Amino acid sequence: MGVSAPLLSAAGVVGAVVAMMLDGRRAVALAVVFVAAGLTPTAATFGGAPGVAVLGVSAVAAVLLSWAGGVGGRALPWLSRLDPTIPAFAPADRLFGPRSSRAFGAAAAIPVASWVSFNVPIGQVTAVEGLLFPIAYTWSCGVIRLLLARTLEDLAVAVAMVSVATGTAWLLRSGTDSFPGAALACVLAPLSALLAGWLHGRSSRHARALVEHEA
Amino acid sequence: MNPLVIAAAWLVLGLAAPVLLRRRTARLVAVVPLVGAGLTLLAARSTSTAVPLGGLSGIGGLDRAGQGMLILAGLSLALVILLQPSIDVSLGRTIGVVGAAATVVMASSDPLVTAVALTASMATLALHWIGLSPGRTTLAAGRVAGTGTAALLAASPFLPLTGFTTGDRPVVVAALLATGTAAMLAVYPLGGWAAGIIGSLKPVDVAPWMILLVPVVLLIAERFPGGVLGNGAPIFEHVLLVVGLGSAVWGGFWAVRGPGATRYGRVFMADIALCVAAVEGAAVSPAITGALIILVTHLIVAPILLRSDQAGLLWPRRVAWALLSGVPPSPTFWGRLLLLEALAAGNVGSTIAAVVAMVAIFIATVLACSTRVRVGRATGWGRAGEVAAWLLVAVGIAAGLAPQSFTGFVFGH
Repeated sequence: MGVSAPLLSAAGVVGAVVAMMLDGRRAVALAVVFVAAGLTPTAATFGGAPGVAVLGVSAVAAVLLSWAGGVGGRALPWLSRLDPTIPAFAPADRLFGPRSSRAFGAAAAIPVASWVSFNVPIGQVTAVEGLLFPIAYTWSCGVIRLLLARTLEDLAVAVAMVSVATGTAWLLRSGTDSFPGAALACVLAPLSALLAGWLHGRSSRHARALVEHEA
Repeated sequence: MNPLVIAAAWLVLGLAAPVLLRRRTARLVAVVPLVGAGLTLLAARSTSTAVPLGGLSGIGGLDRAGQGMLILAGLSLALVILLQPSIDVSLGRTIGVVGAAATVVMASSDPLVTAVALTASMATLALHWIGLSPGRTTLAAGRVAGTGTAALLAASPFLPLTGFTTGDRPVVVAALLATGTAAMLAVYPLGGWAAGIIGSLKPVDVAPWMILLVPVVLLIAERFPGGVLGNGAPIFEHVLLVVGLGSAVWGGFWAVRGPGATRYGRVFMADIALCVAAVEGAAVSPAITGALIILVTHLIVAPILLRSDQAGLLWPRRVAWALLSGVPPSPTFWGRLLLLEALAAGNVGSTIAAVVAMVAIFIATVLACSTRVRVGRATGWGRAGEVAAWLLVAVGIAAGLAPQSFTGFVFGH
C-alpha cells in the first residue's frame, strides 16, 4: 500500500494548529504531545517503529519533565518572580489579539510549507520530494509562534515545535545517522518543557508566599 | 583533552558558581572563564578545520584558530568580570552554558550539534536577560536570535549537499544559514535586538554574547562559503554582504547620535557587521585577516570599555577608544584597511558603504575620547584594576605595531 500524502499532511497540520493555539501552564508539554502525534504517521512511514519511538519518547519525556520541573521548582529554596505565562510587555490595543495573529500565521504557513515540500528534496542517499509538507508546516508554525511571542511560554512552545519538526526531518533524510540525529534534535523539546515547568514551579511558590504574607 | 570534557568543565563550574558564591565573593565568577581558557590550552588539536556542513559525526579536537579564539575570549571575559564594580553571581550560570556551547560549536563539523549548542546558549542568554529586565527589548533577543537558531536547526537535515549542489535545495540551505548567522550576530535587522539589549542592561550582562558567542559564530560563518554550498554560495555571500553593510552604516550612525552609554556596543556591532560583510561578501584572504585583527582588538579593549563612564579608569578608557578609532598605529587601522581592500575588490558600492561606516565609527570614537564625565574613584580592584587596564592598553598598542604577528600568535594564521 502506498503512502497517502494528504493523510500525512492532514495529521501534521492538525497537530501544528493545536500547538499554535495552546496557552497556559501546561502548554509546552501539550504542544510536544500534539506535534509528535501529528508527525507520528510521517515518522512511521519513513522511520518505522524506531522513528515512532523517537517521537513517543520525546512526548512522554516532555510530560514527565514538565511535571518534574514544576515539583522541583516548588521544592527548592530559590524563588523567582519570572512567571513564564505573564507577557513580558503590554502591547497597544489592537484589533486582533495574540491568538488571532497566530491563526493568521498558521494560515500563511500553508503556502510556504507547500512550496518547500514540492521544491526542496530531502535525503542523504535518495531524494524524497513532496512528503515534507507536515514537517515544513510544523517548523513554519513554530517560527511564527517564536516571532509573535509575548511570553517565555510562547518561546518554549516554539522551540519545542521546531525541535520535533527537525527531528522528524532527520528521519526522512535516511542513512545511518538519521536516528541519532532525530533523537538529538528532539532533545530540545523535553528540555523546553522542563524549563517551563521549573519556572512555573518557582513563580507559583513565590505567588503563594506573597498571598500568605498579605493574608 | 577532548573538547567535550572542556565543555563539561565550563558547564559544571558555571552551574556551581551561583550556588557556592555569595555577594562578597561574587567576583570569583571570573574563575569560570579562566579555567575554561586554561583547559582549552590543553585541548586535543585537530588538523582539519571544523566546518559545520557535514553529517552527524563525533567531536575530535579543536583546530588552531578555534583554540586561540576560545582562549583569548575566556581571558577577556575573566578580565571583564574582574574589572566590574559589582557582579551578580547568577551570571556564572549563563557564562558556563555559553562557554560550553562555544567550545562544542568550535569543535563540531556537524550542523545539528552546532545548531543545538547555539540554541542552548541563546536560550540561556535570553532567559538571563528577560529575568533581569522583562520587556519588549529583552524578549526580542529571544525572538530574533531564536529564529536564527531555528533556521540553523532546519538547515541540518538537508546537509551535506554533496550530490545536491544544483536546484532549490542548496538555495534554501544557504538562505537558512544566512538567516541563522545574521540573527545570531545581530546584523539583522540592522542590529535591532542587540541594540535594545545594550541599551537596557548592564554591559557585563551582555558580555557573554559579545565576547564568547559573536567571535565563535563569526569564525564558523567565515568557513561556510569554503564548504560545499553549490549554487547556494552566492545567495549566502550576497545576503550577508548587503545586511552586513547596512548594519555597519546604521550602527556607525547610532554610535555617533546615540547616548554615550551605548556607544561601545554600537561601535562593536558596526565593526562586526563590517567583518561579516567583508568576510562573507568578499571572501579573499585580506578580509579574514582584517576581521581577526578587529576581533582581537575588541577582545583586548572590551574589559575596559564594558564599564560605565562613571566607574573610573578615565585615561585607559580614552586610550582604548583611540585603539578603536582606526588611526594608525591602532590595530583597527590595519583591520579596517584589510576589510576595505577586500571590499574594494568587489564593487564600488560596497566600498562607499564601508567607508561611510568607518568614518562614522571614527567620529564616535573621537566623541567618546573627548566626553567629559564626572569620574569617581576607580571601583572594584582599585589600583590593581587600573594597572590591569593599562596592561591591556599596552597589549592593544603592541597588537597595532605588529598586527599580523599578533593574529598569527593567537589564531595560527
